[in-house]
Amino acid sequence: MVWKPWSSLAYVGIALFSLEMAKGEGPNFGKEFLGKYCVACHSGQNPKAELSLSAWQTGDDWAKNRKSALNVLKMVAQAEMPPEGKQQPSVEERAALQKWVEAAFAFADQHAKPDPGRVTMRRLNRTEYKNTVRDLIGVDFDPTQDFPSDDIGHGFDNIGDVLTLSPVLMERYLAAAENIMTTAIMPNPPQPTKRYQSSQYCEPAGGNVKLEGRYRPIASDATEPVFTGPLNTPYKWEDDGVYIFRSRVYAQTEGQQPVRVAMLVHGPDLPDPDTDEDAATLVGNVIRPFKILKTVDITAVDAKKPQMLEVTVPAMPGRHRTSLAIVKPAEGQPPVKLYIEHLALEGPLDPRPASHRRLLACTPDRPQAEQTREVFRRFLPRAYRRPVTEDEVNRVVAVVEAAQKDEPKWESAMQVGFQAVLCSPKFLFRVELDDRPQHPDARPLDEFQLASRLSYFLWSSLPDDELRTLAEQQQLTANLEPQVKRMLQDTKSTALVHNFAVQWLQIQRLTSFSPDPTLFPRFDERLRQAMLQETVLFFESVVREDRSILDLLDANYTFVNEPLARLYGIADTNGNYVGQKPVGPRGQQIRGEKFQRVTLQDKQRGGLLTQASILTVTSNPTRTSPVKRGRWVLEQLLGAPPPPPPPNVPELPNDEKAIAGGSLRQRLELHRANPACANCHAKMDPLGFALENYDAIGTFRTKDGAFDIDPSGQLPDGETFQGTPDLKTVLLNMKGDFARCLAEKMTIYALGRGLEYYDRRAIDRMVAELEKNDYRFSTLVVEIVKSEPFRQRRGTTEN
Amino acid sequence: MTFRRISRRTVLRGLGVAVSLPWLDAMGPVTAWAEQKPNQATPPNRMAFLYVPNGKNMADWTPSQEGTDFELPAILKPLEKVKQQLLVLTGLTADKARSHGDGGGDHARALAAFLTGAQPKKTDGTDIKVGVSADQVAASRVGHKTRLASLEIGCEHGAMAGNCDSGYSCVYSSTMSWRSGTQPLPKEVNPKLVFERLFSTVPNAERAQRDARRKSVLDFVREDSKDLQGRLGVNDVRKLDEYFSAVRDIEQRIARAQQLPPVKTPEYPQPTGIPSSYEEHIRLMCDLLVLAFQADVTRVCTFVLANEGSNKSYPFINVPEGHHELSHHGNDEAKKSKIRQINTFHTTQLAYLLEKLQATPEGDGTLLDHMMLAYGSGNSDGNAHNHDNLPLLLAGGGCGTLKPGRHVRYAKETPLNNLWLSLLNRLEIDLDQLGDSTGALSHLS
Repeated sequence: MVWKPWSSLAYVGIALFSLEMAKGEGPNFGKEFLGKYCVACHSGQNPKAELSLSAWQTGDDWAKNRKSALNVLKMVAQAEMPPEGKQQPSVEERAALQKWVEAAFAFADQHAKPDPGRVTMRRLNRTEYKNTVRDLIGVDFDPTQDFPSDDIGHGFDNIGDVLTLSPVLMERYLAAAENIMTTAIMPNPPQPTKRYQSSQYCEPAGGNVKLEGRYRPIASDATEPVFTGPLNTPYKWEDDGVYIFRSRVYAQTEGQQPVRVAMLVHGPDLPDPDTDEDAATLVGNVIRPFKILKTVDITAVDAKKPQMLEVTVPAMPGRHRTSLAIVKPAEGQPPVKLYIEHLALEGPLDPRPASHRRLLACTPDRPQAEQTREVFRRFLPRAYRRPVTEDEVNRVVAVVEAAQKDEPKWESAMQVGFQAVLCSPKFLFRVELDDRPQHPDARPLDEFQLASRLSYFLWSSLPDDELRTLAEQQQLTANLEPQVKRMLQDTKSTALVHNFAVQWLQIQRLTSFSPDPTLFPRFDERLRQAMLQETVLFFESVVREDRSILDLLDANYTFVNEPLARLYGIADTNGNYVGQKPVGPRGQQIRGEKFQRVTLQDKQRGGLLTQASILTVTSNPTRTSPVKRGRWVLEQLLGAPPPPPPPNVPELPNDEKAIAGGSLRQRLELHRANPACANCHAKMDPLGFALENYDAIGTFRTKDGAFDIDPSGQLPDGETFQGTPDLKTVLLNMKGDFARCLAEKMTIYALGRGLEYYDRRAIDRMVAELEKNDYRFSTLVVEIVKSEPFRQRRGTTEN
Repeated sequence: MTFRRISRRTVLRGLGVAVSLPWLDAMGPVTAWAEQKPNQATPPNRMAFLYVPNGKNMADWTPSQEGTDFELPAILKPLEKVKQQLLVLTGLTADKARSHGDGGGDHARALAAFLTGAQPKKTDGTDIKVGVSADQVAASRVGHKTRLASLEIGCEHGAMAGNCDSGYSCVYSSTMSWRSGTQPLPKEVNPKLVFERLFSTVPNAERAQRDARRKSVLDFVREDSKDLQGRLGVNDVRKLDEYFSAVRDIEQRIARAQQLPPVKTPEYPQPTGIPSSYEEHIRLMCDLLVLAFQADVTRVCTFVLANEGSNKSYPFINVPEGHHELSHHGNDEAKKSKIRQINTFHTTQLAYLLEKLQATPEGDGTLLDHMMLAYGSGNSDGNAHNHDNLPLLLAGGGCGTLKPGRHVRYAKETPLNNLWLSLLNRLEIDLDQLGDSTGALSHLS
């Protein structure tokens, strides 16, 4: 077990340590305690339990023997030592020893040599695997159904020591690699599709369309769109595909000049479209936005000898239709007539998926073996997230060449090569190679390793080109802060919300939570999703707008859609309530599934604590649980988790009257009457009771059944409060504790390991910087990234 | 890959509820061993372990009479039809589930110690450690005889948040099978994936080709990882060992697939995912367990019906409260009655499974005759968190090595692992000790 003196019950007392030392027990207290109660047995040639305590003179001696010291403390605290029959220290003495040792540890830690710790190499968890495959291969693969769920430690699913790899998972990795490469590379691509549209059915269409043979005429002097054109037809396009647009036509005119037609492409998102002046050169109403691809003079004049028009449509996003228009004849020229048989579209000309083209891109006309090498020279450094050796490339090439013996196509053999890479521990684990793995000195990670830590922390994925380029130029360390800010603005940072925030707040439990349907009939799938989404959007707004982390405790805005607005009784985006006199101007009504930002008018909602997601996961299926809510506040917001209940808690007296007649509060107070429970429940319960105005799915209420809600309470330090708004104030007053808690949790997530005593210095610094910088979110992230545990490591010689 | 669209419900409806007909004859393969070795008279013995969390209402579980003449109490009532195939074992203890100075966490310990007889190390992350579980001992000894050495299934994913029980990693309260003291085997909860694991959903030729490719991939990773040597930390090396142990496992499986006769894919509607109904989910898993044994794809299986400490609610049997919350009933009769309902719901599912097994003919008897199926919990009374006098059933004939149809009461504190040791002996695995066992368990035959 890791002792974290600053995050247990001793947490609040941290600033008091030195004070405690001064006014309480002197520097010799430890020695005196041992002398009085312990050394009689634990000393000499054959000390009991092979533990000699006679040399433990100063606080430093305790700190040097931290593991044994913690054991001694535990034995003393649990009254297992001294053994029965020996002289026993008083309860006060036992507690004083605890305090004294904590202070000794704290003092020693402040003066110790910095130790960045060492992270065990981390297997990609499911999210990281998914994102990495997306960014590396360009394929969306969802492993949540196929891979066993990732093991969780220290509250997160990205902890190196905890993530295991079972045979089942290995089997899934093999299968996943096969699936992914089958999607990514298409050894036998289909022929490009050809689609024809007879002009009769081209738009604008109508019953009055008349054909002459197989041809539909349009004319420059007609009046209705059906008879003037342009004729168009809609298509589905691949954004990155090249297409050929064709049409078979002939034309007739009395004039001297040939009939000229324009071939057009239309689409709402067309980049760089043509202008209204361009449109004015054409006959009829041109759908906008549009682009003229080509104009052609028509030489064919006869239905029997028509002319085939053809133009290549380059790759561009947002293409939607193609059309054919007559270019207005010059001033004074007679009207012209165009006869159109059909419009056709062929493509994409290269039907191989984009991932295929990107992965296998190589210099043409070179021997295949060289091409294979070229592909993997490019791919491996990205997959392994570091420069690779020529030997490593050669080994993959060998796999491909062996596969080519059975596989007729190079592309199929290449699939096997990629599969091999995707199953390699160099891909599946975030390996941080180390030439001195056992050397205890602290030293910085190399730039590629740092890039990886950064990108997996903020994006749950591999480093992008910019990070890799900086690492190659050894410029990443010098540019950490601007890079962090850039990365937080990137949409990929939603990973931080979905992985860090959702786990920190423990709201993924919502997915399997089932409130009693008779008591809470309005809880359904939509509401469940909406609850989760509110918290995600709210946290995301703090990240993207670089707000103060204190907004998480209390904010004057939130995000709701219709189901959630109903639950909250919120009527509009100005936060007015349904059925109540508006407190401010009416805002926009909240309709449908889409989320809207709502400005809140009072303290009923605002901040994480009053969000339905959190109120629900801290409840039981049939009722609220003030104990769970209180514990959640202590654990997730204040970093001071109550210790687990003592074993063998005596049963509650089976007081029929209390059960039948008491409110939940009265029943819980009975619970607290038991001294074995009182100490911790005095801390948890009042925090939970302050939230009693919200039922088990987060609806605001003033009564629980027949009982009026009493959300008031008193904290162990005597501070009283009247309900949720007061609770928020109490928490805001403890902002240092909250900042420390969030810093600790996020550092665990960033490092992928639990915190150790030697990390305290880094955490202290983060908290101090937050305080200096208005508790800005980016400050926290930047400080984590700049911290020694994040940028450095040391070797280990033991587990 | 194709998925048949026949819903399982349709099939079940067609078959009716009472399973007097050997439904598997219509749906499943001919029992594999019989088809392959028509001259071999004895079907193999198998073992399965089913786990249910949060203890039981022991008053409604333990029969008052001992021996062959006993009445099934309320919770065991659904098992009336298979009573003659049941051993009710009273008095066994999972001592290692007790605190022994480690404080709270009885739920985590109850499951972790259940098949291992070892004290789980109290940690919420790093350095998880318990012991090898009985099923994995069996898998390591008899696993080479079948395509899969063992099968681990369940109905609840590993818990998704935090430490799950008073400072114990979630892995303890959600894992029954431990390949080694430090390697938990996660259970598969998706019936679709279980089916795909058990039975080939691709033609055999294609499968062989795929295996060959996989073999070359595994050869590559082995060769390619050599340059990591000397450049990893101590714990990194441990992780890499874990990786290669998984690689070896698959290599062996591929090798076995080449040696063993092909498994015929049963004509059972391929599951498409996790059913939304819990009951249907359990029954689907039960069906797969039956198919796995019947086709002799494996002879060892663990099945966790719900994670230990699970706070699942059971609104479909009118118990909308959470199971764990209720189990701390404080002797409140209303709550106890709801706990009894949940307990009975689970034994009803067990009855479904046992009746299926009994309705499946094999050799001169039924599939149930040729297996040993243990069902129970590592907590006795959920309210008291005690780990002695555990609720345990043993079903099946164990190929004539068990004499079911009795209630046996053992001396207080008899280690649960004595039972596992005795079951392993019946698979012809000779061990003197397993976990905290003190000897073989008497009175099983």
